[in-house]
Amino acid sequence: MEAIKRKKLRERIIENIFLLCACVAVISLLAITFFVFYNGLAPFVSNSYSLWSFLTGVEWRPGSNMYGIFYMIVGSVLATFGAILIGVPVAILTAVFIAEMAGSRAGKVIRFAVELLAGIPSVLYGVFGLGIIVPYVLKISPMAQGESLLATVFVLAIMILPTVVSISETSLSAVPKEYREGSYALGASKIQTIFRVVLPAAKSGIMTGVILGIGRAIGETMAVMLVCGNPIAGIPTSLFSQIRPLTTNIALEMGYASGVHQELLYSTGVVLFVFIMIINFAVNRIVKTKVGN
Amino acid sequence: MDKKIKFNTKNLDLFYGDFQALKSINLEICEKEVTAFIGPSGCGKSTFLRCLNRMNDLIESVRIEGEILFDGQDINGDIDVINLRTRVGMVFQKPNPFPMSIYENIAYGPKCQGLKDKTQLDKLVKESLIKAALWEEVKDRLNKSALGLSGGQQQRLCIARTIAMQPEVILMDEPTSALDPIATAKIEDLMSKLKKDYTIIIVTHSMQQAGRISDKTAFFLMGEVVEYGETPVIFTNPADKRTEDYITGRFG
Amino acid sequence: MGRKVKDNFAKGIIYLATGITLSVLIFIVGFIFVKGIGLVNFDFLTRDFNEKVFYAFVQNEDVSMSIDEEALKQKTPFDDRYESLIEGPIYVDNIGAAIAKVTYKNNATEHEQLVISYIEKNSPLTNAADSTGKEMRIGTDYVIQSINGTDFEGLSLDEAAALIKNQSDELKIKVVQPGGGVKSNIITTLYMVLLSLVIAIPLGIFGAIYLTEYAKPGRFVNTIRFAAECLSGIPSIIFGLFGMAFFVVALKLQISLLSGSLTVAIILLPVIIRSTEEALKTVPTSFREGSLALGATKLQTIFKVVLPCAVPGIATAVLLSIGRVVGESAALLLTAGTVAQIPGTLLSPGSTLTVQAYYVAKEEGNIELACAIGIVIIVIVIVLNILSRIMSDKLDVFNKK
Repeated sequence: MEAIKRKKLRERIIENIFLLCACVAVISLLAITFFVFYNGLAPFVSNSYSLWSFLTGVEWRPGSNMYGIFYMIVGSVLATFGAILIGVPVAILTAVFIAEMAGSRAGKVIRFAVELLAGIPSVLYGVFGLGIIVPYVLKISPMAQGESLLATVFVLAIMILPTVVSISETSLSAVPKEYREGSYALGASKIQTIFRVVLPAAKSGIMTGVILGIGRAIGETMAVMLVCGNPIAGIPTSLFSQIRPLTTNIALEMGYASGVHQELLYSTGVVLFVFIMIINFAVNRIVKTKVGN
Repeated sequence: MDKKIKFNTKNLDLFYGDFQALKSINLEICEKEVTAFIGPSGCGKSTFLRCLNRMNDLIESVRIEGEILFDGQDINGDIDVINLRTRVGMVFQKPNPFPMSIYENIAYGPKCQGLKDKTQLDKLVKESLIKAALWEEVKDRLNKSALGLSGGQQQRLCIARTIAMQPEVILMDEPTSALDPIATAKIEDLMSKLKKDYTIIIVTHSMQQAGRISDKTAFFLMGEVVEYGETPVIFTNPADKRTEDYITGRFG
Repeated sequence: MGRKVKDNFAKGIIYLATGITLSVLIFIVGFIFVKGIGLVNFDFLTRDFNEKVFYAFVQNEDVSMSIDEEALKQKTPFDDRYESLIEGPIYVDNIGAAIAKVTYKNNATEHEQLVISYIEKNSPLTNAADSTGKEMRIGTDYVIQSINGTDFEGLSLDEAAALIKNQSDELKIKVVQPGGGVKSNIITTLYMVLLSLVIAIPLGIFGAIYLTEYAKPGRFVNTIRFAAECLSGIPSIIFGLFGMAFFVVALKLQISLLSGSLTVAIILLPVIIRSTEEALKTVPTSFREGSLALGATKLQTIFKVVLPCAVPGIATAVLLSIGRVVGESAALLLTAGTVAQIPGTLLSPGSTLTVQAYYVAKEEGNIELACAIGIVIIVIVIVLNILSRIMSDKLDVFNKK
């Protein structure tokens, strides 16, 4: 009897250890939210800096106590938007090729290439951008430097390719073959079948991929930091303007900032965090409505 | 026989890789009749059906030898497959409406052919639905998703969709096997109405169904046509012992 | 006819898009290899990033040269990143090595230096020690600056050689160990991978076990899944911020290996949980029932039947995680620092390969060096990719059975 009791107790204890491990994800998420918000909201709560001038300011000069991030928000949004505009069509069509048109061998090769692209660390995209894209932009740019919104858009467009390709490809492959057969039996050509039946049927999966791509673009730091220019002020006015996305603002100055300056870097993180959370909820909704159908 | 021959196959062999699924099929299928293919699972009847509008093209490892003459033209030769499929429509085992509205489902085929005129499309959709005996049930919700229909309605929608292409032949691959008896009865009813305008070829698991609706029946076994003839003859007085065994339920 | 034209047009666009995707990959990888390959060699992988100056104590011992003068002239393994030959080399018997005079470039400053160009097999230099008696091997390409207190500055090569020859007994040589390598970064990366996996793997696997084997589907499981999903969507710079606020500042772990690996462990958690969960789900219920029916407890069933079946899936997760750690930069920049050194303790900082690549590209503008580091990273990534492919193929075999 004693032995059985002990065995049972052991099972219970270990089960609870498992439970604890499962909770770590939730705890981490809460802790991250708490720490970032706690530090980031502090300057506004203690009134050491005005939230309004933080959110609407267009200059970031820690030396003269000016911390405006509006131009960074604009930069982040523009860069992300541009990257989506270029990257998403290319990615979806690549996914179409892999899922619908490539033979099994070609499909495998391209899929491997896409996985490899996903595995390349973002810093190397940045190095590539700095070594190739920035000099090219400089050639056509009226400005004195190649680091610009345009260079950032190109680097980000490349970086979201693997995310959007692989998720789109998965959802295209999940479209039942009955739809394709039905379409062919009605005398539709392959291309018509793809564009009129398969793509619409995979819509929600592709949307998820696009939104995750947006998340990746807006959260990208290191690659962008090398090609965006990081000006201390100014809303971008052209494709050749330098930009300073929210992410790079944090990474650039966190190392040496202190006091209000440091807290306002956390505040920058809070703004970024809010963007990401909106994206997360959007993904969650799309996935849910898909299940609902 | 005074009826025109629509399909004529000559020594048709079909291989999946190394496996021979069809062995030397010779069949003549007449116009404006219902022809039924019966036989146990895996006997090749569906495979044969899919040869008639080249749906087997979608499977990579398939190799076909022999001739299939459609109105005297070999469809395995250098023909326009898309054109063939507009003339030879197909209804599948599982109802497979597209995830679009009822209207869009029916307008899909004509639109793919380049028909854009709205009034013409409206007319075509209505006519097809009426012919498929579905109009009364769906006329108020043409813009609702087709996936909201019942299984039987979905299948009739698929038939309507096929009719909208104004085909000459309609292939049906066990069209009622996923449906309940009432829905099945409606579809059988529909078939007997449609046969005055269309040549219908149906694969079925149910011998009763074949007996009820078909004019001619072919019995398939192990990739061969064992017997082919007028349905009443096949069912009452089969020439081959194996046909008799199958029909009387001794195997299959 | 119109349809065919349209179809072909659409087809063309699809091919074009696929071509763009492929060429982007080839272009990037190609760029990094072409730019960086010139710098990748044995020295690059085995040297520290920074130069190191130290005093070496060497026994005076005559070793004669075993090769002829011509061969010695060929043995000028001058590192072309730093040096061009001015004079020499001259073989010096009592240290069993040849020295040469070169111009030595370091961060754009250029000056004349004496370097060791060739070392005999049993030269006393190979047994050199530092002031504490710790072995400090001197190799080729090392710069020598002074001997027993006498500076070489201003001496000609012959004078310097004579100076060395005239020393008796022990020689105290001031040497500069050449830098420019990534040994310390490779080792830091290795530490970071090991440490973060040691933290994240048990947490992730146990958590996944709880989710698949114990928890009843419902709000709790959904909450954890949602949290994991949110975590995987958070950009790494936010993790960096958190790591800085929590591990570095609140827990006083400083900018260190430990802070870095704890932060990265959180980043890895969602990947490991999800892949493990998926692997566990593929194990058929009948296996569990079979084991339970034989009188095994739930725990025994999990550890002896379910987990072993899920091993390929978990291994894939581990490989993915390694790739993630190797590629991580923004979070580590804020929590583990940019110091190119081998972290002596858990609480010392160190930069991984990726952070180093960023550092040299951004702070030094040295794209060639960044690309050279990139080559090392890409090779690691490719190897991991291939391994994980093999692993998931194995998983498929299991499924087919």
